[in-house]
Amino acid sequence: MIDTGLDTEAITLITGAQQGIGEAITRRFSAAGARCALNDLEATTRLVDLAKETNSVVAPADISNRALVHDMVEQLIDSHGPIGTLVCNAAYMTMAPFLDHDVEDWWKVVNTNLTGAFNLVQEVLPSMRSLGAGRIVIVSSYWGVTGWPDATAYAASKAGLVSFIKTLGRELAPEGIIVNGIAPGVISTPQLEVDARDAGVSVAEIEAQYATAIPAQRVGQPSEIAEGVAFLCDRRIGSMVGTILQVNGGEVRARV
Amino acid sequence: MSAAARVALVTGAASGIGASIASHLRHEGFLVAGFDLVPSDCDLSLEGDVSDGAVVAAAVAHAQRELGPIAAAINVAGYYEMLAISDITQAQWDRMLTVHLGGLFNLTKAVLPGMVELGTGSLVAITSELAIGGGDHDAHYAAAKGAILGFVRSLAVEVAPTGIRVNAVAPGPCDTPLLSADSPWRDRAYLDTLPAQRLADPNEIAVAVSYLINHDSFMVGETISVNSGAVI
Repeated sequence: MIDTGLDTEAITLITGAQQGIGEAITRRFSAAGARCALNDLEATTRLVDLAKETNSVVAPADISNRALVHDMVEQLIDSHGPIGTLVCNAAYMTMAPFLDHDVEDWWKVVNTNLTGAFNLVQEVLPSMRSLGAGRIVIVSSYWGVTGWPDATAYAASKAGLVSFIKTLGRELAPEGIIVNGIAPGVISTPQLEVDARDAGVSVAEIEAQYATAIPAQRVGQPSEIAEGVAFLCDRRIGSMVGTILQVNGGEVRARV
Repeated sequence: MSAAARVALVTGAASGIGASIASHLRHEGFLVAGFDLVPSDCDLSLEGDVSDGAVVAAAVAHAQRELGPIAAAINVAGYYEMLAISDITQAQWDRMLTVHLGGLFNLTKAVLPGMVELGTGSLVAITSELAIGGGDHDAHYAAAKGAILGFVRSLAVEVAPTGIRVNAVAPGPCDTPLLSADSPWRDRAYLDTLPAQRLADPNEIAVAVSYLINHDSFMVGETISVNSGAVI
């Protein structure tokens, strides 16, 4: 078997693992022999089944709640050992014209996506430091790079993650903890249902609409983002730091 | 899709980053044709200058005959020199552009028809961190490497509908023969300013190239920066 470079000893914590990109990341990592812990809001039947199928453990918690993240990480480490890889994938998205966006809901988007990553990194970092190495990948979004109408909260949270990734990349690289991000373009996931609802069309229609703006002439697949995350967690590379891998079929071709 | 028996062509394959990429891809099961001024350790060694379009075209045709259709082409051939802007001669400027940008142009012209015929393919250009951030005494090198970024983004859009993906890798200072023993990029004081505090290893560039030419990628017209955090 060709070396895939993924850590197969310490725990890999994947948030938002239940569906879409998170599920694809789980399948990609576990197929390579990684020991995965699957986080999502609750230990639903779907999450538990995915864990069984991929020989993983479940680690439910609302990532926007610091106390719950603390307990989840502590229990995980107590039961299964240190966390060597963290994939911050969980996200919450709602869309609305700016003035119509409910203030509490606006902050829920930011608190889940941006503060959630902050909570996770702060809680997991001591474990990585005990290992003397680590890999952190944070899932941003191309909307965090380009902005998008009716998505101020989501775009702001994802743009905040870009700077968070760059800064943590600089801050943690000297101790061998490598932080990078990935900014998916339009990917065929349940989240597209939110966009479709906002536009008042079907999911198939919204995918076709998006594809017209993508040089590759199609939307991406969750497995393609999982492949990018696996690349960023590859232990054979340690000199790639604070970067944002843009996987979008060519829709955005610029540095972030 | 398995990488087995796919054919890759690597320019600048005789040493440094090119040699690491060629070796890595062969390990992954690719048949690799190497193109360089001198012989390279590949399945097929081709010699010539990338700045000569006719020579590159003949080499690509030779590789296709010997190994089969080319699924991946990686343009690495290049060289580095530092000069103050007032000291760059016209000949040095022209040579820098014809090797880096011209070499990529020539390689693209030669491999693209075969990839279009296949309906798939991947082209990777090695650019540089200096294309993004610039550097003291790097005007002609950075101009040539920066031109590659514009070329890659545009070509990527043009050929994406045909199933061909074009991307770039921008290494930072890398531990290769391109950096002389007394190069300022090897200076410990400089390296300590980098988040990763070291030169990149050519094998790290090879892993990035391998990721880009993998079929499970939705990356088009992008640049992967493997630069120890020199430019973030």
